[in-house]
Amino acid sequence: MQADDADKLRLDFCGLPFNTPLVLLSGCVGFGEEYTRVTGFTHFDVGAVCLKGTTLEPRLGNPPHRVCETPAGMLNAIGLQNPGARYVVDEILPRLPFAETRFIANLSGSTVEEYAEVARIFDDSPIDAMEVNISCPNVKEGGVAFGNDPDMSARVTEACRKVTDKPLIVKLSPNQTDIAENARRCLEAGADAFAVINTLMGMAIDIESRAPVIGNNQGGLSGPAIKPVALLKVHQVYQVCRDHGVPIIGQGGVASPEDAIEFLIAGATAVGVGTGLFYDPLLCAKINAGIVDYLDRHGLATVGQITGSLVLNDEGGSCAGG
Amino acid sequence: MTAGLDRAHRETIFVEEAEVLSHHHLEGDQHILRVQAPETAHHAQPGQFAHIRCHPLLPMRRPLSIMRTDARKGWVEFLYKVVGEGTRLLARRVPGERINLMGPIGRPFTLLADRRQPLLVGGGVGIPPMVFLADAMRRAGGYAPFAVLGSEVPFPFRARPSAFQVPGMPEGVIGAMPLLEDWGVASRLASLQGYAGCFEGYVTGLARLWLEALPEHARAQVAVYACGPHPMLEAVALLAGEFGLPCQVSLEEFMACAVGGCAGCTVRVRTPDGPAMKRVCVDGPVFDAAAVFGTD
Repeated sequence: MQADDADKLRLDFCGLPFNTPLVLLSGCVGFGEEYTRVTGFTHFDVGAVCLKGTTLEPRLGNPPHRVCETPAGMLNAIGLQNPGARYVVDEILPRLPFAETRFIANLSGSTVEEYAEVARIFDDSPIDAMEVNISCPNVKEGGVAFGNDPDMSARVTEACRKVTDKPLIVKLSPNQTDIAENARRCLEAGADAFAVINTLMGMAIDIESRAPVIGNNQGGLSGPAIKPVALLKVHQVYQVCRDHGVPIIGQGGVASPEDAIEFLIAGATAVGVGTGLFYDPLLCAKINAGIVDYLDRHGLATVGQITGSLVLNDEGGSCAGG
Repeated sequence: MTAGLDRAHRETIFVEEAEVLSHHHLEGDQHILRVQAPETAHHAQPGQFAHIRCHPLLPMRRPLSIMRTDARKGWVEFLYKVVGEGTRLLARRVPGERINLMGPIGRPFTLLADRRQPLLVGGGVGIPPMVFLADAMRRAGGYAPFAVLGSEVPFPFRARPSAFQVPGMPEGVIGAMPLLEDWGVASRLASLQGYAGCFEGYVTGLARLWLEALPEHARAQVAVYACGPHPMLEAVALLAGEFGLPCQVSLEEFMACAVGGCAGCTVRVRTPDGPAMKRVCVDGPVFDAAAVFGTD
C-alpha cells in the first residue's frame, strides 16, 4: 500500500490508533498470531485483533463437531476453549507483536463477578482494549443469556467498567428483541464502543442419524448469510451511538470491500472480519484496496467520512426497534 | 518487529491459484487431482494437507491430504472420495481451471532414525498420506517400509502381483500398489469385498500376520504410521500397543480456518498435564496414537 493510501485508512478508535478500519474477530484468529502462518498476511492490514474469548479458569470447550457448513455460512460451537485469563496475560501477551497492530481481549464468563475478575486481570496488562462478550451463544451459563437481557448486559458492563479505564467494547447479541435499547443501557453503564453483531443461533441436522451435526446441538451462524441482519442492527445501534460519538465495530458476513463499505455507511467506524478469512486468508488487503478505491471515486479523504453516511429512502419504513 | 520473539511459524502456508493439470475419475467416486502449486509442492511433507476452495460459491474450504508432490515440476496430487457437497463440486473441475488452495498445512509424520522397518497402514482416503510417506522414506534412504492398504470400494489403482516376498502373507495375497512397487516399496491389500489378490479381512488382520512373522530383531525396527477411518486408527493403535511399537496416526475433523485460528477442528488428547483439546489443523493432523486413544 502507498503511504498516502495508508493515511486514508488510518483512524482513531476510542483513542487507539488503528492501521485500518478492519478488526479480526474474536474466535476466528486464536490468540493473535495464527494467521501470520499465511504468506502475504500481515497485521499491518488490520486496525486490531480480538483475541479468543477468555474466562477466569481454563476451559476445554465443546465436543466435536464444532463447525459445519450451511448455506452461505457456517455454524460453530467452540464453547470458549481457552487457557484462562492469567495464562493469557502471563504467557501469550508478552509474545504478541504490539508494534504491528492493536490487540483486544475478549472477556467471557458465567457470572458478573467472573467478567469483572477477568477484566481486572487484563487491566494490569499491555492489552489495548477489552471486548465484553455478553453474546456467546455456545456456553451453558452466562454469554448470550446475559446479552439478551438489557439489565444483565448493563450489570456486566458496569462491573467491568469499575475495574478498568481501558476502552470497553460491548459485543451485542442479535438474538434479542431490542438491540438499540440494550445498547442504550450499556452506554449508560459505561461502554466506550459496541461490536455489532455476534452470531445468530442455529442448528443443522444429519437426516441419517437424526442428530444435530454440531456436538453442542446448536451453534452460532456466521458468514454472508447473516450480513443483512447485521447491517440493520448496526444501523439501529448507530441511532443510539451517533450523538455520543461512540464508535461501532460492524460485523457479520463481511467477505468483500463492498460488504465492508456497507457496514461503514450503516454507521460502523470499524469493520470486523471473521468467517470471511476462512474463505480467503488474504481478504483484508483486498478490502483495504477496495475501500481506498471507493474513497478516491467519491472524492473522500479518509475512511471516517463514510461512517454513517446512509441516505434513507424518503418513503421507506422505519428501521427502529428490534 | 519485536526482537527476540519466536516467529518460526510465520509464512509457512502459501495461498496458490493452482491450475488443474489432470483430474482422473475412478470407480467408487474416487478422484485423482493434480494441480500446479509450486510453493506447496516445494514445502510439503508427508502427513500435511492443503485447504481447498472446491467451488467459489462454497463458504468453507475442504482439507485434502497430499498424496504426491514433484518439487521440481511444481505439482501436487490428491486422491479424494466424494463424501458431500464440497467434494462433489470439486470433482467437476476440469484441466485448465484454477483452484484456490492453501498449503502445506499441519504437523507431518516424523521419520524415526532407529526404526528402519516402518509399517504404513492406509484405509480408503487414508491411503494418500501413506503414499507420500513411502516416497519420503525411499528418498531418505535406509528404510524398508511395508504398506498395508485397505479399501471397501475398488482400489484407486489396478493392483498387480507383487515382486516382493513379504513375511507372514497368506497364500494368494499377492496384490500390490503399482506405484509403490515401482518405488521398491512392498505393499499388500486388504478388503472385505473379496477382490482378487487381496487379503479378505481388515488391514489390522494383515498387519498382525506380518508382525507375528517378523523375527524379534526386525520387529524392534518397526514403527507404525496410519491414516484412515477412526475405528481403523483405533484398531491400529491397539495393535501397535500390543507389540510395544511407536505409532503415529493422522486424524481428520470438520475444519474451518486450517491455520489454528478457530479451534473448530479439535480432538481430545491426553497430555502430561491432563486432557486437552488439540487442533487437527496445526497441532496435527499427525498425533501420537497413545495420546489420542489412551485413557485420561
